[in-house]
Amino acid sequence: MDPECSRLLPALCAVLVDPRQPVADDTCLEKLLDWFKTVTEAGPSLLLLQENPCLVELLFRVLKAHDPRPRVLSFSLRLAGLFAAQEDCFQYLQGDSSLFVASAAGQLLVHILALAMRGPAEGHPSPQGCDWPACAQKIVCHVEDSLRSTATPQVTQALNVLTTTFGHCHSPWTQGLWVRLSPLVACLLEKDPIPASHSLVDLLLSVARSPVGSSDCGLWETLAQTLSHLSPTQAGPLALGILKLQDCPQALKTQAFGVLLQPLACVLKAAAQAPGPPGFPEGATGDSITVDTFLSSKSACVGLLCQALAHLELLQLLPQRPSPWPQAPLLRAAVAILRFCHGSAAPTSDVGGHLCAVLAGCVRVQRAALDFLGTLSQGTGPQELVTQVFAVLLEYLTSPDSSPMVLKKAFQATLRWLLGSPKAPSCCDLDPHTQLFLGELLPVLRKRLCSPCWEARDSGLEFLTQVTRHWGGQAAFRHALLASEVPELTGQLLRDPESYVRASAVTATGQLSSWGLYATPTGPEHPEVQQESLFTELLHILSTDSEGFPRRAVMHVFTQWLKDGHADVAEDLEQFVARVLQAASQDLDWEVRAQGLELALVFLEQLLGQPGSRCPYAVALPEAAPPATLAQVLQALCRVQLFEFALRALFDCDRPVAQKSCDLLLFLKAKATPCGGPQEAGASPDVVSVEAALQRWQAGEQGQPLGELEPEAVMAVLRSMDLEGLRGMLAKSSDHMEKSPQSLLQDMLATVGVLGENEADCY
Amino acid sequence: MPEIRVTPLGAGQDVGRSCILVSIGGKNVMLDCGMHMGFSDDRRFPDFSYITRNGRLTDFLDCVIISHFHLDHCGALPYFSEMVGYDGPIYMTQPTQAICPILLEDYRKIAVDKKGEANFFTSQMIKDCMKKVVAVHLHQTVQVDDELEIKAYYAGHVLGAAMFQIKVGSESVVYTGDYNMTPDRHLGAAWIDKCRPNLLITESTYATTIRDSKRCRERDFLKKVHETVERGGKVLIPVFALGRAQELCILLETFWERMDLKAPIYFSTGLTEKANHYYKLFIPWTNQKIRKTFVQRNMFEFKHIKAFDRAFADSPGPMVIMPGYCVQGTVGHKILSGQRKLEMEGRQVVITPTLPPPALSHACCDTAAGVMQVEYMSFSAHADARASCSCGQAEPENVLLVHGEAKKMSFLKQKIEQNSVGKPRRGRACEGGFSRACADRARHLAEALSTPPRGQLLYAANGETVTLSTSPSIPVGISLGLLKREMAQGMWAGHAGWGGAAAGQVAPQTAPAPAPAPASQGYSRMPRSPGSCRHPIMKDSNFRLVSSEQALKELGLAEHQLRFTCRVHLHDTRKEQETALRVYSHLKSVLKDHCVQHLPDGSVTVESILIQAAAHSEDPSTKVLLVSWTYQDEELGSYLTSLLKKGLPQAS
Repeated sequence: MDPECSRLLPALCAVLVDPRQPVADDTCLEKLLDWFKTVTEAGPSLLLLQENPCLVELLFRVLKAHDPRPRVLSFSLRLAGLFAAQEDCFQYLQGDSSLFVASAAGQLLVHILALAMRGPAEGHPSPQGCDWPACAQKIVCHVEDSLRSTATPQVTQALNVLTTTFGHCHSPWTQGLWVRLSPLVACLLEKDPIPASHSLVDLLLSVARSPVGSSDCGLWETLAQTLSHLSPTQAGPLALGILKLQDCPQALKTQAFGVLLQPLACVLKAAAQAPGPPGFPEGATGDSITVDTFLSSKSACVGLLCQALAHLELLQLLPQRPSPWPQAPLLRAAVAILRFCHGSAAPTSDVGGHLCAVLAGCVRVQRAALDFLGTLSQGTGPQELVTQVFAVLLEYLTSPDSSPMVLKKAFQATLRWLLGSPKAPSCCDLDPHTQLFLGELLPVLRKRLCSPCWEARDSGLEFLTQVTRHWGGQAAFRHALLASEVPELTGQLLRDPESYVRASAVTATGQLSSWGLYATPTGPEHPEVQQESLFTELLHILSTDSEGFPRRAVMHVFTQWLKDGHADVAEDLEQFVARVLQAASQDLDWEVRAQGLELALVFLEQLLGQPGSRCPYAVALPEAAPPATLAQVLQALCRVQLFEFALRALFDCDRPVAQKSCDLLLFLKAKATPCGGPQEAGASPDVVSVEAALQRWQAGEQGQPLGELEPEAVMAVLRSMDLEGLRGMLAKSSDHMEKSPQSLLQDMLATVGVLGENEADCY
Repeated sequence: MPEIRVTPLGAGQDVGRSCILVSIGGKNVMLDCGMHMGFSDDRRFPDFSYITRNGRLTDFLDCVIISHFHLDHCGALPYFSEMVGYDGPIYMTQPTQAICPILLEDYRKIAVDKKGEANFFTSQMIKDCMKKVVAVHLHQTVQVDDELEIKAYYAGHVLGAAMFQIKVGSESVVYTGDYNMTPDRHLGAAWIDKCRPNLLITESTYATTIRDSKRCRERDFLKKVHETVERGGKVLIPVFALGRAQELCILLETFWERMDLKAPIYFSTGLTEKANHYYKLFIPWTNQKIRKTFVQRNMFEFKHIKAFDRAFADSPGPMVIMPGYCVQGTVGHKILSGQRKLEMEGRQVVITPTLPPPALSHACCDTAAGVMQVEYMSFSAHADARASCSCGQAEPENVLLVHGEAKKMSFLKQKIEQNSVGKPRRGRACEGGFSRACADRARHLAEALSTPPRGQLLYAANGETVTLSTSPSIPVGISLGLLKREMAQGMWAGHAGWGGAAAGQVAPQTAPAPAPAPASQGYSRMPRSPGSCRHPIMKDSNFRLVSSEQALKELGLAEHQLRFTCRVHLHDTRKEQETALRVYSHLKSVLKDHCVQHLPDGSVTVESILIQAAAHSEDPSTKVLLVSWTYQDEELGSYLTSLLKKGLPQAS
């Protein structure tokens, strides 16, 4: 322990045990515990106690006090547990679980049980428990009694304790425990309603995942039984859990998959106009219980559908998902649900009519179904079905009833289906169906970009950016886009009143222009004219926009343009970099300045080569640039005023900016130093002026410009600066002093006596 | 028994990371989603894993409601929606929606830029989170779904702050968020109508405090600022909370104008400047005075207050006024708690007292740069104890205290309970280590509580669930015709609980369709015609009592007749017709209250019961009585059968 802390500790302990002294708030005590934890982890806690007898005194006096203050008592108990944790395993006392007493108590029981069973009872103790330690027997008896209880909270507690046990303890004795307790667990299934069904599901899955699962075949029967006993909504999480298990009988997996598919099977059945193509595998035919749930109430119906969609979405992404995967019926079901919600379905069955009434306009189901439909784009489907998918997506994108959130999801699902759609083999271009769809989609997008709702405009722009990023080179897409008014509208949105939309418009126009798709009145035949105008426009946004988001977006676009070697940027590279850096260096937003340094680094790398390129197949280049080139590079850097920007940024009040600048200058220093070159300049007058400027900036005076710089002078200054030391200092967070244990102890001691009136005066 | 469950995940008995889960009528709502300013690790956000162990949050929660833009009420929102994965709707008022992202961006900046935290939510996440927001207007009833509705009320406190009523069927909860019952210079007082919720969840930050006069505080503040400026000194006012900055700006601006002062006032660029833009926009949310005058002059267009110049900070001799709370771990906290040594931005600053004797909250310090005086002044926008009680205007059944300290809550509870029995005596010694002043404040509070809750006053620690049983009233409709008919038949007389049915209120414990009173002796109370049967019908969420014919008609069902039959053997050598006549005479004499008829075809009827006599196929001296009756006359039918089995009286 730090000597200063050791010195402060006795005074603090004295305050804590003194009932007359007000105690600092809980956060201080929590942080004090955090610190003790790091101290005990760093060295032997026994030594700590010997060197700081005040700690033992504190524990002793608080625990003996007749009426200890609850927060000090709780703190002392946890502190005691912390010290005990080194010898035993009482870590449970630490952490936020103290807020949740039941959970902490459960964890405590599990730890004690595990500890008791660790010694003599290791191996395969008898299930009857006659050879178990008394302490373990007592805990198990308590759990048994709780499982027999008619009070649901008690059953829940017992099930949670067992879940934690099987989750954490994998020794052979857990098998004996399961053999002993499984009949009681099975009894719970006979009750109506099944008590604590959520916790029961957790327990069964926890057992199935533990070594007990691989040895006990009775468990699979219990799982199968539970699946059939639970209501469709309760059975969903269990079914998903079973399908995630690595080793489990195929029959059980089929049953579980059937449970997940039931609601969608019902939907398909309800939506069918006539006997259609084959649906889901056997076992998922839309049973009467699921239908009853659908019919019972709107919230039950919506809840069950959303849950099924979410579970199937998760399952689809797993490597162990059931095979064959019923892609086609799932697609049909998702489309049917979306149509029910949209009111465009014309069902003939009674259940269909009911679903139509219940789901009409239900945003919750719409969101879940669109997410699910998006995930299904990973697979394929018959063309007729894919056409239906695009049709329903278009319905949602067009519909004035779609809420902003639903619209966003519809755009996301559309993007996934578009990017997943196959390309025509001959010309590597989009297939005719996609081209047809694009023809219908772009007018809808155009309309959405004019929406009065900013969320809709923003989602439209995000979609446009993504689709252009992937298809900017596809002739069919380019043709369709240029024929639409979308690029012009995107340009207009650069002046949107909502800053989020302006930022998205900047990103979208940047992307469009990268592919030569940013149309201006001059037309695509004069790309240089339009490029200049977009660059100017974006630069104008960078210099004048009142909000940070659009300015950050501009910097991202410019950096990307520089990285991609955009033809028009490359035309006068230095001019481009100089103008951007000048604007960025004066920005009030730290992220814009940091991004400016990012752009500067890209520029530097383009001139000097990547830092530490480790590709084994790359041609071995000398680490440092040859002197002739270096001199030219340094001249160029001076011309674009990169040095002034970087050196100023070194003392930026925002730490990430200073860090980035430090990294950049270190990179430059490393590239330049081994080559010799112009380092013999010595302490020329230029160096003195640079150093003087640096000192002024360090002192916080930002006003004075540096003026013309000589490369030699800059390099000399760089060599003389302790950039590594600065980097180390910057690595510390701004509140590292306040976060230190000394600061905490001082704060707690300083507040003694002034608490009371001010402490709750928040906000 | 239906119940309302409330679990604070944060701000149960502390201040910070406000987050309260409410389950009402099968719906789950999260109230606020805040951060704790005292932590910079996982503990800064509520522990959401507690909500659902293995399920998805979106499936569990029906909606999230944010009361106002302060970070201890909304700071965890992007984390919750974009990193934990809540995908459902988030409700807040329009000013909150506009200002929330500014504060979240600022919070992100502090966490990422200043403290270097990795894995924090990004700007994109803030935007995506804000896209899930649905803006609500004051007093607008918003249907979250068919059953759950919410309504916002003005809360004062900060621009856009709202109290929310959450209602499912006839059960409701009101959540106050942070509120202020005293109008200040730019906001009005909180107001809620007499909505009589089952539960009022209210903040209790100043549960035991009655603040001194605001006018005095403001006068002191202006005096100190003026004196310092006159001396050529400078005043630095680090305003911790957005909203307070605007209040102080108005205060200073007005004073400057009145006194015709020329010294410049600066406010820091960034947060306050950005927020001011929205304060100018949302004039309807401010108080009456500002609303009235804004056509001539928008109060948030300051003449004397300019953007802050960084160079100003290092000039000598500032006076620092702290108008609010500073959390442990900040320089403000150190200064307020009277520390003499500070390390700021890597520089050791030695502070030595220059004026004797330095009060702890009034430290006069000599920095390397000059003399620094520190004043603590409370300009908080929370309801104090007196005002806390005024929320009794909603007339809640029960009250749950949150956003305050356990000790103060229990003291408050005790005082309120005393108050509801009898006013506590003046100057009575106070328990639990509270000062005399504190006890006096609590007494003020207790006296101010004009309408104490009819039920319980509760508080819960974080993670602790409070459960309230409710008895929702279910309105039942009945046609006047049916009601008159039933009353004429005296069917309601025996059911005191149903007396109010005409008014449409029925206790849920009562069976929806009351079984007819059991026949004990005789049959006079048996329903005599099918018309007197009542059937409950649930249609379009309305519960109605209708006659069985009406029920059948409305449900599109045909009546299904169920008849019981029984054969009774009688020793009687006479002809069948004569036996039937004997049966008729016998029943006529026994069942005086019932309609017994002898039909021309020879059969006998008693109400719906039909009796026919037939000869035994094998034994001519035995007659067989075929008795048949409907399900409705089950008891009469079995009674008749047993009666006939005893035989007929001998003919005289």
